[in-house]
Amino acid sequence: MNTMNKKNYLADSTVNSIVKIEKITAGQKARRFLADLGVLEGVKLRIIKNDLGPILIEVKATRVAIGRGIATKIEVTG
Amino acid sequence: MRRSRFNQGKRRYKRKHYRGKPQGGKPHSKRILASPDSDHTIEHRIAFLGNPNVGKSSIFNILTGSHQHIGNWPGKTVEKKEGHFLLSDEYFSLVDLPGTYSLSAHSEEEIITRQFVVEEKPDLVCAIVDATRLERTSYIALQALELTENIALIVNMMDLAEKENIQIDRQKLEEQLGIPVLLVSAFDNSCIIRIKKFLYDALHTEKYTFTPAYLLYSQKLETMINSVSRQIEDRKILKDYPTRWLSIKVLEADKWVISKLEEEYVLDDMFNKIEKLKKSENFDPADEIPKRKFRALKGIVKKSCIGYDDFKEKLSDKIDKVVMHKFWGYPILILIYAAFFLITFYASGPIINGLDYLLTSFSEIVRGWLGAVNSPIFLTSLIVDGVLSGIGAVLLFIPIIVIFYILVALMEDSGYLARSAYLMDNVLGKFGLQGTAFLSMIMGLGCNVTGIMATRTIKSERDRLSMILTNSFLPCAARLGVIAFLTGIFFEPWIAAMLMLALYAMSFLLVFLSAMFLKLFLGKSETMPLIIEIPEYRLPRLKNIFHLTWERAGIFVKKAGTFIFIASIVIWFMSNIPYGVDSEYTIAGYIGRGLAYVTEPLFGFDWKMVVPLLFGIPAKEVVISALSILYYIPGSSIVATLRAAWTIPQAISFLVFQLTYAPCFATLASIRSETKSWKMTAVGFFYPLIVTSLITVVVYYSLLPFF
Ligand SMILES: Nc1nc2c(ncn2[C@@H]2O[C@H](COP(=O)(O)OP(=O)(O)OP(=O)(O)O)[C@@H](O)[C@H]2O)c(=O)[nH]1
Ligand SMILES: [Mg+2]
Repeated sequence: MNTMNKKNYLADSTVNSIVKIEKITAGQKARRFLADLGVLEGVKLRIIKNDLGPILIEVKATRVAIGRGIATKIEVTG
Repeated sequence: MRRSRFNQGKRRYKRKHYRGKPQGGKPHSKRILASPDSDHTIEHRIAFLGNPNVGKSSIFNILTGSHQHIGNWPGKTVEKKEGHFLLSDEYFSLVDLPGTYSLSAHSEEEIITRQFVVEEKPDLVCAIVDATRLERTSYIALQALELTENIALIVNMMDLAEKENIQIDRQKLEEQLGIPVLLVSAFDNSCIIRIKKFLYDALHTEKYTFTPAYLLYSQKLETMINSVSRQIEDRKILKDYPTRWLSIKVLEADKWVISKLEEEYVLDDMFNKIEKLKKSENFDPADEIPKRKFRALKGIVKKSCIGYDDFKEKLSDKIDKVVMHKFWGYPILILIYAAFFLITFYASGPIINGLDYLLTSFSEIVRGWLGAVNSPIFLTSLIVDGVLSGIGAVLLFIPIIVIFYILVALMEDSGYLARSAYLMDNVLGKFGLQGTAFLSMIMGLGCNVTGIMATRTIKSERDRLSMILTNSFLPCAARLGVIAFLTGIFFEPWIAAMLMLALYAMSFLLVFLSAMFLKLFLGKSETMPLIIEIPEYRLPRLKNIFHLTWERAGIFVKKAGTFIFIASIVIWFMSNIPYGVDSEYTIAGYIGRGLAYVTEPLFGFDWKMVVPLLFGIPAKEVVISALSILYYIPGSSIVATLRAAWTIPQAISFLVFQLTYAPCFATLASIRSETKSWKMTAVGFFYPLIVTSLITVVVYYSLLPFF
């Protein structure tokens, strides 16, 4: 509860936490492709796996793997 | 913000409908078929579009059955699947468009899809979505709604949705979207007739009033859309495209649309305005538009469905805790792929031996017949040793290829293949490649042609090119045959197995290192980070396995098969002319002896070793049969003969060289057709040859002192 609304990056989010995307600062191409998969600002997602390699998230009932580089450019709160 | 909503009926659209009398005034959208063998005078053209993995192909396959045709879009490397079915004496032709996540201009597939929808004007666009992922998979449907008015929605996978207690109110969904909606499961036996009837109704009756919903964006966006619209209203190009859609795409910075429009207009004013907005208000229409669409979708789903409770742990998550574990994932991956190869290897062995026996017996019978009718010896040899052995070379490799691709299809349909790409992303990342490149590598182990086709899923142009050029480093089934044959002759089983493993490791390493090396020459390209969807685990379906295997193995039979067959006949001529002389004095013999001046000191290959490699350039399948012919000594087995003829360094050097020295002609042809460049095709041929020569020299000379 004490972590509510704390700013964080997707790459640093803990497994199983549910977070909301605040801002995506990745390049335009990557941003668009993320949007096609439903990963955009204001959307809630759950972190399924975050250890080695790409981060696995659940968003809109689908699971999406996102490279670590991009995940450091996604600001989340939650 | 409050303005963003779905307004129905803003744009009333009355569909021209048709009541089934071919003679009456024919609506112009229906094409009249001229084919004389058909009584079906009406053709309805329907296009399926949707995300990957929503079941487009499943539905397409059950509707069309065997009436389908797979080709390429003209001039493009994207697959085109067409088929048809008949209902009430009318002809419904279907096109299965490539699975894409959106209708932007990110990829060739997306551009083809939207061009088809607008320029080919199908009578009905049928968006297919997945009931278990309704919101996300409907995004593309919402985009299509802005592009065309003749659109219907099929919500597939209702069986899974029911299991998850998801309820979808069809009527409400229909009201919200203003288009016909069908809830269905492709696995349900009654679905064929329901889908056919649905498509029939959507095309015929007034049961459905087509009043596609009209998405209103925020006021700021609407103002911008209108301002672009006004500017391009009287355009001379892209006339088939809706003005509003074009404006939206301009705001989304769609490169394709913008470059087309700029042929006629100067849009700089608009872009300046957008730049200013981005700076002053942090407002980027390109981000805002998808956001609005998803917000609208969320509303629609909320109003018409229940049961999508957010974020419940599914069975797939539990399995993935082990299968995608940061440590355990890798031993599991190795085990699965090891099993995969052992099964391919051991299951195809007996089949190949059996086939080989049948083919040899058949050849002897034919030889007997021809002898009985006094055919000239020359002709008999051409037919039996040239033509029949050519057919044999193709047939013999079919079982390996089929078994291989059945196993690939099993992994794909179960959902594991995408996961192995995920796991391999860590490994490939070290070489600057993405996990998705792994898939083309696996496919290439069956047949390089299929492997090269599989590079189409690689997003970065540069990575794709380097994977096309290096796919031939991966030993296809034909080379697996050579490796198994030769290692079996020269080594104890366990050494043979280790050697085989080492050869495969070398192939993969060559691909990885080449990717780093080629990067220096293939120029810069924006590196796309990995973003892939990981599907749910599913129980593989026999039907899918069959279709997937059929498509891929079919590529081998069609493309590689033709080359192998022709090569076999050419080879027969080269090794039999002048007719009747010793093999040393045939055309092949002369060429071989010439080349041996180079290969003997470098790799230890005498002319009898060179000729099979030479013949192997067009098709690796013929290497073994060429060896058997050249080393044929009456009364002695090929195993004993070869063992006596080659030293161990020679054998290993031969194995290393044949592994990677040259792509077969079928592979070269597909390098050419995928890259559309002769220069790249030349690189694809000479690069492996040079690299392999260097490696073989090193291997040969480091082994020599020990034997
Ligand atoms: N349970 C269930 N599974 C389905 C249904 N329809 C399709 N599938 C499965 O979903 C998976 C994907 O189906 P495809 O038909 O290959 O999907 P697609 O849309 O053609 O996918 P792409 O070709 O990648 O664009 C397969 O494993 C099918 O067996 C359905 O109604 N219910
Ligand atoms: Mg498909």
